[in-house]
This record gives sequence, C-alpha cells and structure tokens, in this order.
Amino acid sequence: MAEPAIELYRCSYRYNPDIPALREVSCTIPTGTWVALIGQNGSGKTTLAKMCNGLLRPDEGRVRILGQDIAGQPVSQIAHSVGYLFQNPDHQIFAPTVREELAFGLRNLGFLSAEIERRIEEALALFGLEPYADRPPAMLGYGLRRQVTVASLFALRPPILILDEPTTGLGWGAAQALLDRLAELHQEGHTILLITHDMRLVAERAEWVLVLHEGRLLTEGPPRQIFAQPKMLSRASLSPPPITRLAQRLRSFGMRGDSLTVEEFYREYRALTLKERACS
Amino acid sequence: MSNRFDLYVARSSWLHRLDPRTKLAFVGVSFALLFLSSRLSLLAGYLVVVHLLLRAARIPSDRIRWLWRQMWPLTLLILLLWPIFYPTGQPTLLTLWRVRITLPSLLQGLANALRVNGLAFAVFVLLVSTDQARLVQGLVQLGIPFELGLTLAIALRYLPLLYSVYGTITDAQRARGWRAEQGSLPERLRAHVPTLVALIIAALRLSDTLTLALAARGFRPGHPRTTHRPRRLRRADLLCLAGLSLLLAIMVGLRLGFCAFSCPKMGKLIK
Amino acid sequence: MKPIVSIENLYYAYPPLKVGAEPIPVLKGVSLSLAQGECLALLGPTGAGKSTLCLTLNGIIPHLTGGTFRGEVRVAEHDTREMDPGELSQRVGLVFQDPKSQLFNMTVEDEVAFGPESLALPPGEIEARIDEALKTMGISDLRHRSPLELSGGQKQRVALAAILAMRPEVLVLDEPTASLDPAGKRSVLEAMRHLRERTQMAILWVTQDVDKVPLLADRVAVLGQGKILLNGKPAEVFGQAEKLRDLGLALPRMRQLAIYFNEREESGYTWLTVEEAACDLGEDTGG
Repeated sequence: MAEPAIELYRCSYRYNPDIPALREVSCTIPTGTWVALIGQNGSGKTTLAKMCNGLLRPDEGRVRILGQDIAGQPVSQIAHSVGYLFQNPDHQIFAPTVREELAFGLRNLGFLSAEIERRIEEALALFGLEPYADRPPAMLGYGLRRQVTVASLFALRPPILILDEPTTGLGWGAAQALLDRLAELHQEGHTILLITHDMRLVAERAEWVLVLHEGRLLTEGPPRQIFAQPKMLSRASLSPPPITRLAQRLRSFGMRGDSLTVEEFYREYRALTLKERACS
Repeated sequence: MSNRFDLYVARSSWLHRLDPRTKLAFVGVSFALLFLSSRLSLLAGYLVVVHLLLRAARIPSDRIRWLWRQMWPLTLLILLLWPIFYPTGQPTLLTLWRVRITLPSLLQGLANALRVNGLAFAVFVLLVSTDQARLVQGLVQLGIPFELGLTLAIALRYLPLLYSVYGTITDAQRARGWRAEQGSLPERLRAHVPTLVALIIAALRLSDTLTLALAARGFRPGHPRTTHRPRRLRRADLLCLAGLSLLLAIMVGLRLGFCAFSCPKMGKLIK
Repeated sequence: MKPIVSIENLYYAYPPLKVGAEPIPVLKGVSLSLAQGECLALLGPTGAGKSTLCLTLNGIIPHLTGGTFRGEVRVAEHDTREMDPGELSQRVGLVFQDPKSQLFNMTVEDEVAFGPESLALPPGEIEARIDEALKTMGISDLRHRSPLELSGGQKQRVALAAILAMRPEVLVLDEPTASLDPAGKRSVLEAMRHLRERTQMAILWVTQDVDKVPLLADRVAVLGQGKILLNGKPAEVFGQAEKLRDLGLALPRMRQLAIYFNEREESGYTWLTVEEAACDLGEDTGG
C-alpha cells in the first residue's frame, strides 16, 4: 500500500492574530485520488492548499507529503513532489517566449537540458501551443495565457498537482479540454487537488470532496454523498449542481436525490417510471 | 490596520471632522514653530500638546507607541552624535581622549531630538486623522489639479494591492522551484527577474483596465467636475485657523524681534 | 419597438503593436440590436471578441483606442463616432469582470459619486443618485465602508451602483460574475433581477454561465469568429446544440438532459431550467 499523497494533522493557521484562517483541519488524501476542495471565498481553501507545498507552514499541526513530514523542507524541494497552479495566470508569466516560460520550472528543478527540451515539446503539443512557442506569453489572450501556465505545470509532471480554479475564465470547450488532460494524468496515478466553485465539474470529475467553511473542514466524502446533503451545503453557501437539484426536487416521486450526471439521472428516473407503470 | 501604507485610524472625533486644509495648516504652523524656536520647554511642550490632541481624538495608544518606536533609533543617534560633533560652549562636562562633551551641546542635541520628533508627530496628527481620499481632496481644494490628486489617490489605493500581488507572484514562482539566489547584487537582481517582470506586467494590465474603468465612469482629464459634498470650512475650522494664524504671527513677530524693544522678556522666551 | 442600440456590420481591429504590421481584426461584420427594457445574453468562446464588442458600445472603441473601425454603432440613433465620449459614457454604462480594478476610491460613497461628479452634476442631485443607486443594489448599509474590505459579490454590486448612478439607458455587463464564488454570483444575479423588475434599462450581459442565462435573459446571441452566429430566444439558440458544441460552448444542463431523454424516447422536451424539467417529469411520474 502506497503512502498517502497528502496528510494534514490538526493544522491551524492565522494570517493575523484575530482571524484564524484554518482551524485544526485533518485529512488524508490517498495517492492517485482526484480531490475537489470547495467552499466560499475566505473559507480557507487557498490556505490549505498553500500548506501542502510549504508556501505556508501551519502554526500548529503537521503536514506530510508522500509520507514525509515537510516541516524542514524548503518550498523549492517540495516542488519536486507538489506542483501548484495559481489562480491568475498573470501572477506567474514573465518569460520572453512561451518556450522559456515552460523551461523555467524544469530548470529550477534541475532537469537535464535534453529532458527539458523533450518535455517542453510534449507540453506544447499537448496544449496546442506549438504555433505560439516563440511568442511572448504575456501578449497572448487570456485563454492562451491560461493554457501556457497549465502547460508549464504539466511539463513538470509532479506526483501531486494542486490547481486553484484553473477553469475560471475559460469557455466550456477549453475547460473540458483542460480537464481531459488532467484526467489523463489522473489515469497515470497522479494525485489531483482542485480548488473550484464549479459544482458541475465537481460532480462529474472528482472522487472525493473536501468542504471548507470558516476555516474548518465542514465535511468530506465522495461527491454523491456530499451533494445529497443540500442543507449542509447551504451552510457553506453552496448548492448542488442542477442535475442533483432536479433529482432532489423529484424526491417525492421516489428519486434518491443524488444523481451526478445526465446518464445516471435518466437511468434512475426511467427505472422508477417503468416500475410504476408495471404496478398500475 | 488594513494596510501598511496607511496610518489612518477611523474615529469620529473633532480632530477627524476638521477640514484637511485646517490640518495641513496645523502641520505648516507646527513646522514654523519647531524651526523658529530652540527652547527646550517649548519643544517639549509642543510634544505634550500633540499627545493631548491625539488623546482627545481617541487615537489608540498603540499607534502612538508605534511612532515612538519608529523614531527611537533616530532620536538616539541625534542625542549621541550631536554633542560629540558639535562641542560648543562651556561648561565642559567630560573629556575623553579627544572628545569633549559640553552642557550646551548636550542641550542642543536634546532640542534637535525633540524637534525631529515634533515634526514627525505634526505629520502624524494629519495622517492618523485624515483618510487619504479627504487628504487628496484637501490638496485639490488648495489648488493642485484634480488629475494630479486623482493620480496620487489611485497610487495610494493600489500600492497595497500591488504589494500583495508581488507576494502572490513570489509564491507562484517559488512553487515552481524558484529561489532568490544568494550572491552578489547583480546575481541577486537577475534572480529576481521572474518576480519583477511578472509584477511589471501585472501592473501594466491593472493600469490598462483602470483606464477603461475611469473612462466608463465618464472621467475625462481637463473637463469640469463637481463634488458631491463640497467641503466648506466650518466654524470649528475657522476658529482653529484663526488660532493657528495668531500663533504664527506671534512666533514670527517674536523671532524677528519686533517686540524686542517693548518686551525683551518675550523675546527671550522664544529664543 | 425602436432599438436603443443598433450595430451594423461592425468591423474592428486594434492598432497593431508593431508599426507597419497588418492589423488583426477582432470583429468582422457584427450586426446586433438591443431594445429598451431587453436583456440580451452574449455568449462566445474565449477570445471571440466579446469584451471588444462591449467597448464599442460606450465609445471607448474607437475614441480611446484608435484602430480600424468600419460599419457603425448607433446608440439612441446617434453614431458613436460622432458622439461626445462624455455623453456616451452617460448613456451606456459598462461594468467589468474584475471588481478590484474598477473600484479606485476609498469609500463606497465616493465610488458611486465619482461618475455623477464627472458629469458635473449639482451636489444635491449627486446625493440623490447615490441614495438611489445604493438602494437599488441593496447596499445602502455599505455606504461608508472601504471597497477594499468587501466580499467579491459586494464589490461587484458597488461597481454596478457606481454605473447606475450615471443613469445609463444601456447597461453592459462584461462577465460580472465570472470571478465570484457561488454566494457572490447569487447576490449579483439577484441584484440584476431586481434591476430588471424596476427599470426599463436595456442590458447586454456577457456570460459563460449558461445555466443562469434562461433565468434572466430575453434573448441570446452567440459571437464566434468575429460575427454573430446565432441570435434568438433562449429556447431557439439552445436548440442549436450541435452548433454550440462546435464552438466550444456549453448547453444549459437541463437542455442536455432534455436531449438525452429525446434521443432515447420520442419525447420533445425543451427544458432550460430545473423548474421546467421538474414540472414535466413530476407530472410524468405522478400521473
């Protein structure tokens, strides 16, 4: 049995003495899991995520990454295990060309130049960025800038990927393409921690959901179980995605109220109506 | 405190309610007073009065202590170095090798230390009780162009934001394995290219959208505007200004010696 | 009804970055109109030129940006190129996606006052407009707060109030909820609904949130490849599932479900909202 990817043990953090940002959060994320981290702005999502790569160190509590306590490790070392994509692409883009932007992380982590070349080409191809390889990334449109930053994370292929709202500002098609790429990495065994406000995405892609509210872990579980509790979600100012809401509206007709996808909804609904027809 | 670039403490005291122009005048008269006089009692008295003012305006004492802490190193430096470098007059109190310490130089050092603190506190009174928007408004009313005032206000407003953006950028690059290298200055500067360039791009983008936002609000440089709350000087302001003018007149008068014949004692009082 | 905004065969290219370079057109023949009291949702993939189109409505393009501009944009029957930019900013209000770069004052009150002050209105009038705009957005209690310390949803409602205080006839919202969390999104959509009920303002609403479009919009237009590709009632536009998919645009979740049903049985469902679907399916099982 592999070590868990991320283990937090009673982690607390304060930016400012009066306001706790995170209060005694404990959780364990097994290697290879796709986890969604949801909650209001200010609920502690980013604080928790930054704790996983050492950008923030818990005031109290312990963080273990791939079985190792990271307390003594510098961020540049943890970066070998944990890749982190910030919310705004403009908070990292600096290089004169897209190619250089992709090379930055790889060089920092000490890859050999032949390997760097290979990985850059691979990432460029994967995200359809070849035509822009020698253009200045800062001058590209928002969607492309986002792709450049995602590609720079993919080039590193870290065992654990943390992404802070990567689909914000992308159209549906571009967002799906990005999530498909992530799904491929997930297939290969990478652990994915995704911060998002998009409940539909959570329902369709995540295997496990962490719900944060006012710095506490309100609840965790598989999406089906989380979205079946609309009352609990509304405490965190969240609501289930439309399909689940519809299923919940039809509870009085026998729906369980935990459908996550169109297919699931249809299957359950039809089974129900067929049964009813057989009875009558 | 919401950010480190703003001393303002929100309260609803009479000091806060005074017009920024009145408070600017207070700073001006304070400067004149502090520079025109070297009398210890006057300089110390000024600091006492300012503290009473701050107290009356219900400025929390930790803010006041904060300023003292900031001023402490400079104060110490003046107290130590002044007597050493300007050993004037008699009596000599102490002679150590070639260093001679005299009583007048010691007192002069003390006066200068008090003066520097007085200047700091005069500005502090203004900044702690006037939010930046009103301060800029006051400056505009005193005749600086609105565009300049707006630029100043926006710079003050976005400084904290850019500061936090720089923090985020540093985090983002560290997460990609970046380290601020040790070494010579050029080496360290070069190591900061990934954060500084990203900051410049982010700032440019911000100023771009800001330009659009200003245009969307009908702002056009050089066009006439109104203000929703034209600030007229109220009675309290007028009284304060009258008091300040009187004080200034007396100070200048005494200093220039106009009174020297009629009341030599007063002349001494201020020197 | 006479349209308040009409765009005829609009072509626009930003000035090229390098002197002498060929300008790359963003809009290539856009025709679109907006009637008084109408809410039009504008969809389109990233980079389709939605924001550019927004900027042409209040004259920032081309007055401020220059570039190559052909065709015409008329606001209240006037050609925007011939209108005074100040007058245009009064007629067409523009709210952007990112709250922090459009709030530049120290208090909410000053923020809302800024527009009317730029219009050089008398102080009494400005005061009345501040009151009204804050009330419409439900943020009267935030009047003396600093915009910096507000939540995303509150900030965006301040930005809306700041524009409403200029009493525009047309409101252009460029992805006003894209950067907000779910609670913030809800509060801004609620404010928009309130606005629709109380005023006759025409609204152009750029958004990616297709599940919310049917709740607020009278009409939907799709911008792609620099042109308006689809334009009609929400039910009509979302009926073009194939076209939308090809453009990389989402369908409302309930329309996806309807299609799934229709493909498997001979049903002709056209749901856009949870409400509609629950109504049909509830009756189905119940009866």
